[in-house]
Amino acid sequence: MRSFNKLVINEWLKMSKKRSFFIPYAIVAVVAVVLAWALKRWAGDMVGSAFDYTAMMSSTHGFGQFVAMLAVIFTAGMISSEHGMGTIKFLLIRGQSRGKVLASKYVAALLFALSLIVWLNVISFASGAVLYGTEHASGAWRDIWIAGGSSLVYSIVYMSLTFMMGVLTRSTGAAMGVGMAAIVLSGITIPKSFYKYVLFPNVDLSVYSHGGHPPIDGMTLPFSIAILAVYIVLFLGASFVTFKRRDIA
Amino acid sequence: MNHPNDIQVDAAVLSLRGVSKKIGSKKIVDQLSFDVQEGEVVGLLGPNGAGKTTTIRMIAGLISMTEGDVFVRGSSIRHEWKKAIRHVGAIIENPEFYPYMTGYDNLKQYQRMNDWISNERIDEVVRLVGLENAMKKKVKAYSLGMRQRLGIAQALLHEPSVLILDEPTNGLDPAGIREMRDYLKTIAREEGISILVSSHLLLEMEQLCSRVVVIQDGKLVTVRSIGENNASGHEQKNFVRVLFRVGLLEEAKNVLGSQNDAEILQVAQEQNELLVALRYKDIPDMVTALGAAQIPIYQITELKQSLEDEFLKWTGGNRIA
Repeated sequence: MRSFNKLVINEWLKMSKKRSFFIPYAIVAVVAVVLAWALKRWAGDMVGSAFDYTAMMSSTHGFGQFVAMLAVIFTAGMISSEHGMGTIKFLLIRGQSRGKVLASKYVAALLFALSLIVWLNVISFASGAVLYGTEHASGAWRDIWIAGGSSLVYSIVYMSLTFMMGVLTRSTGAAMGVGMAAIVLSGITIPKSFYKYVLFPNVDLSVYSHGGHPPIDGMTLPFSIAILAVYIVLFLGASFVTFKRRDIA
Repeated sequence: MNHPNDIQVDAAVLSLRGVSKKIGSKKIVDQLSFDVQEGEVVGLLGPNGAGKTTTIRMIAGLISMTEGDVFVRGSSIRHEWKKAIRHVGAIIENPEFYPYMTGYDNLKQYQRMNDWISNERIDEVVRLVGLENAMKKKVKAYSLGMRQRLGIAQALLHEPSVLILDEPTNGLDPAGIREMRDYLKTIAREEGISILVSSHLLLEMEQLCSRVVVIQDGKLVTVRSIGENNASGHEQKNFVRVLFRVGLLEEAKNVLGSQNDAEILQVAQEQNELLVALRYKDIPDMVTALGAAQIPIYQITELKQSLEDEFLKWTGGNRIA
């Protein structure tokens, strides 16, 4: 376990030592602050408190989707850049199994998404607190948790898809393209019964909150969670099987 | 075609036993077997496309073997990869690092992957390759030569028993090549590490290795000790090739041609040179005969067969890269 943690640290450093690493955090911070100010200026009564604002920002309809996109962009390059730079050769001859190496990359990607969502919530709450105050009704915390949690799930699903594409194609562009296309496609719902088994309508779990209606009749929260779990297992299964067996030419 | 594994695999640091790689129906590497002993520097020589890189990658476990196995200190790469790879340090093609990190951060990455590597060991290998002053610089600011040295440092970090290097001098300038060679010799001598180095640069191999394994089309052609031929070259009964530069070419041709046991191999009209194959002990007679015919002699040179000539002979000529 200790050696696995060290591998995750390695992966995290590979991401964070890049100069571009702070750009997504900067974008999130700037948008969260500017939007808070703009809403106060032009739509003063729309947002009640910092809690409202945070829940709104971190939901998949707010900025959560954008966070997923940033996570997809970072995940897309994780495997292909090792191939592209040629560093994969050194990485895989150090006595750590390929499965472990790939798992450490996936965990680092998850940590990245998680850190972005936490950052988004912290900045939103801070700027909301300054502009709107922190008065709140009961259940305000719960709303934030639902919004942030469903955004995290949303990000994880598309990151897993992108991760798989990165392993399979070894191309940053292809992985990013597929990941982004999937995020865009998730907005489209085909009102047919078979479609509920497709990934897209299930990704946004926040539709079940507040007694909301699922995109297609017959879908429930446990059903969606099960479908997502199956897809994630498939994505990761394909990634690990391919990565373990691949000849590094 | 199974090679028995009981051939003293423990004695050699690195043993290949009937290693094959098949892609589709094409055999890239075909039943390759050889050993590298303790402290030995062995060259893996072959024209482009002979399967050198594939062989090196199979030894490191980057490419799977179709048949056969590789043993490092007696551990199988196929079945006990973790145990075996622990003894292997490798540079495969150009050493590649994370360019946006410093040299030190890059080595730290590899330290985290093997817990027995201490900070002192990092300092030690950095000193060995003379990169003390470059450790805080980002790798993207490194020259190719510095990157090669960092590559060696990386390969030595976990105290391996054998170093495998794939074309380590590719792209280096003459000074860099020489430096690399010196480092490798130092490492072999001082750390007692065996080295297997692949290359198509013959002169390079001649100067670095004590033995060469020649492969072509994935098959073993020959295993030679370097220096073996030169030792026997001066024996009296052996034929040698001698280049005569003379004043009167036609006359010299007649004189040499009429001698017993001498054969004119080549005539270079412009340079007034004759390449003759004759017995070593007959050289003085030949000179006397030329002198008697009043033919001026400007130069007599024995042409030693270089590794290059032999290499071309082994691999059937003109395929050399």
